[in-house]
Amino acid sequence: DTWRYAFEEAMDEVQGKFAQKFKEEVEANSDHTIQLFPFGTLGESADIMEQAQAGILQFVDQSPGFTGALIPEAQVFFVPYLLPQDQEKLQSFFRESKAINELFPPLYADQGLELLTMFPEGEVCMTTQEPVHSPADLDEVKFRVMTNPLLVKSYEAFGATPTPLPTGEIYGALQTGIIQGQENPRFYLESMKMYEVTDVITCIGHNNFTTAVMANKDFYDGLADGDKEVVQNAIDVAFDYILDYQAELDEASFDKIKEAKPEIEINILSDEERQPFKDAAGQVEEAFIEMTGDTGQKILDQMKADLEATN
Amino acid sequence: MKEPHSSQTQSQTDTTSTDDPPSPAYRSDLPGVLGTVDTAISRIESVMLAAGVLLMAVNTIANVVGRFVFQSSIFFSEELNRILIIMITFAGISYAARHGRHIRMSAIYDALSAKLRKPLMIAIALITAVFMFGLAWYSLQYMLTQAGRGRVLPSLQIPVWLIYVWVPVGFFMTGTQYLLTAIKNMIERDIYLSTNVLEGYDDDEFEI
Amino acid sequence: MATTIFSIMIVLLLLGFPMMIPLIVGAFVGFYSLFGGMGQMETMVQQMMAGIRPASLIAVPMFILAADIMTRGQSAGRLIDLVMSFVGHMRGGLAVSTAAACTMFGAVSGSTQATVVAIGSPLRPRMLKAGYKDSFILALIVNSSDIAFLIPPSIGMIIYGVVSNTSISELFIAGVGPGLLILLLFSIYSWVYAVRNKVPTEPKTSWKERLIALQRALWPLGFPAIIIGGIYGGIFSPTEAAAACVLYALFLEMVVFRELTFAGLYDTAKSTGLITAVVFILVGAGAAFSWVISFAQIPQGILAGIGIDEMGQVGVLVVISIAFFIGCMFVDPIVVILVLVPIFAPVVKSVGLDPVLVGTIITLQVAIGSATPPFGCDIFTAIAVFKRPYIDVIRGTPPFIVILLGVSAALIAFPQIALFLRDLAFAK
Ligand code: NA
Ligand code: NA
Repeated sequence: DTWRYAFEEAMDEVQGKFAQKFKEEVEANSDHTIQLFPFGTLGESADIMEQAQAGILQFVDQSPGFTGALIPEAQVFFVPYLLPQDQEKLQSFFRESKAINELFPPLYADQGLELLTMFPEGEVCMTTQEPVHSPADLDEVKFRVMTNPLLVKSYEAFGATPTPLPTGEIYGALQTGIIQGQENPRFYLESMKMYEVTDVITCIGHNNFTTAVMANKDFYDGLADGDKEVVQNAIDVAFDYILDYQAELDEASFDKIKEAKPEIEINILSDEERQPFKDAAGQVEEAFIEMTGDTGQKILDQMKADLEATN
Repeated sequence: MKEPHSSQTQSQTDTTSTDDPPSPAYRSDLPGVLGTVDTAISRIESVMLAAGVLLMAVNTIANVVGRFVFQSSIFFSEELNRILIIMITFAGISYAARHGRHIRMSAIYDALSAKLRKPLMIAIALITAVFMFGLAWYSLQYMLTQAGRGRVLPSLQIPVWLIYVWVPVGFFMTGTQYLLTAIKNMIERDIYLSTNVLEGYDDDEFEI
Repeated sequence: MATTIFSIMIVLLLLGFPMMIPLIVGAFVGFYSLFGGMGQMETMVQQMMAGIRPASLIAVPMFILAADIMTRGQSAGRLIDLVMSFVGHMRGGLAVSTAAACTMFGAVSGSTQATVVAIGSPLRPRMLKAGYKDSFILALIVNSSDIAFLIPPSIGMIIYGVVSNTSISELFIAGVGPGLLILLLFSIYSWVYAVRNKVPTEPKTSWKERLIALQRALWPLGFPAIIIGGIYGGIFSPTEAAAACVLYALFLEMVVFRELTFAGLYDTAKSTGLITAVVFILVGAGAAFSWVISFAQIPQGILAGIGIDEMGQVGVLVVISIAFFIGCMFVDPIVVILVLVPIFAPVVKSVGLDPVLVGTIITLQVAIGSATPPFGCDIFTAIAVFKRPYIDVIRGTPPFIVILLGVSAALIAFPQIALFLRDLAFAK
């Protein structure tokens, strides 16, 4: 059969690389073919998600941040300083997490989706016009964030003025000065050319951009056991591949940026400098619990337990 | 289009609306209760159009003032504009159908004889009505599906399906206008673009 | 499937159906045949909604409203009087000024539809009075507005830059050369047109008269100040600048000039809403249709048969130009960029083409396609705003299309037209 797989990024970005690997594996080990639909070709993130729920698409990627409007608990990935920054710990967290492997699948199943896996896409860093070493440096900085309540809360806590803006307008708004900062995963800073219109990159280690891979549940449940195995194996291969890929990409992206703009200032904040940001993050956790209640609390606790386990 | 030269001269005074006479209150040509209802709906639609556009301006400016003066953006501003644009579009397509204002390419149609134009106009109105009713039905289904999934707008935190309420209504009203136009053309001798706009009555006003 | 759908659409269009019907039927037939029945029509509705979702579309009703208030009142007239006092005595002066104003406004606002409205609606009556033919005026307005795609900020270039991983700053600079070249050629054509059609000139004004005109235009000169200063000064996004213009127009016409009553405002807002709806339903229907083309992978199918891998640089550029030109005739430009750029990416790389040059050529095709029949957003906007029949709006288009295609050919033959400024700025 022909299976269709849509994702939120371009072919050469992390989700695109994952999808290409998945396609390669499935096609090598079965008679099925997979058509890939990168960013925007079938609509925005919410559109392709609905199309997967409707069964038009068999596979879809969506960052849990976007899924928050549908599954509020998925916003746990926006709680700052929850995910480890150390690559080894990060990778074993994504492999072994009970929250991801046991608590989330039923929530996705309620929406007609089979959660196949979640993977990290890279460390989220900010780009600004002036150096940032403490929350005070973000004072009066109009900072573009996705329209997500927790993300807005985070940047308020960090001292900035969160400002909503569609993705397509970020570049121009940084250029003219409507906003003075924005955050994105490292590779996205490079591919979106954010460094062309900002002078400083700052990593405070608050988050790693995460994506969920899903299948339409009816489609998945209807697969023969052999086909299910093909899908699962392909997911596993692509998952292993992408863990290494994103780790290398984080380095490579900054190298590319430095090459394109040698005068760029890149600051990886020290643990000491990060502490005030970490302290501010507590209120975001509270906001998350407020929004999601008991299920949210359970997931947050499990995430923390999972992290303990990987340490 | 029948008299290109006169239309040329006429159009010299025609701009967006500078020289439009202030539009007289619309009165439906439909008989009895149907006419009263149609007139009322038309009024409601014009209020929605005007209020929607003005609210959009106010909302957008308020966001600038908030961000620039008070260092605080209005996070629901974009979502509110989205709600307004859907309302304007779907109140507007019905209003446009009633007033014969939908864009069409009439070059070939105009070249036909009145004998051919009449059945063609009936067919156009009927087929258009069928598609509008179909879209009314499927947009209602879409709205119900959205309601079932419980998706909310990220900032306003209200259910997404609420912003689509105008969609099935707008399609249904538009379909009704085209259906009435078809019926009117079957009953009357003249050819009608919409229930109360005669074809070619005023080149500038109506043939768009 | 593609051939059937396109044929049905063209027939419905020619028969005189409301323009939304060919697009809706095209999408409907697509959904019906892709999914073997009515099972997925909800997704068609979803995509119609997606089409009218982008926040930047808000600029369209805002500029329609501002322009309408200005034209009903005195602001627009005073601004044009000022321009006329300087160019009225020159052959074709008004037409050249219109082209330049469209280019500038489009460049800053980033919206070609808004430009058609904001510059076109006040200037068209003046040009008619000056003796230009309507077909020429309409084509001039629509085509000059589309130069905006090439001059920064350009949303098309941003999307291309992201999808193809190309420097957006370099793209922005590369667009300026071809953009100005097109403006120059349009100006020359306008002058030739004015001379050949013996468009009368006005007597030359004295400096004193010009000073008076300037004085009268002082308040309305706030509009360019708001738009240019506000956007480049980092106060507004282009969309917000549009709303600021509405506010300023209301202030001028209700408080300063006292031309506009509340009843007039209600009428203006209503007619703005109507025009918006008539255009946006087409944008929505067009988005549903674009989805079908994208989902069915129709472009991939067509391009696979061409053998593009065997071609050299020029061949590839020609194929790209043609593909984007045809694509934009039927489908929304942004979708065309998103769908086609990845398809061409491998061959662009393998023949060693400069992605900045490719981006510039693609943006130019997008600009041409948006002003080219049968389907084009700027054509729809012009029809709705100026209340002219479709055929009148496109009648004067051919000379402009010829110029634009000429520039495309020149760009392929002499890439320096685009790359000269880029190389200068980035010291390549
Ligand atoms: Na532009
Ligand atoms: Na077109």
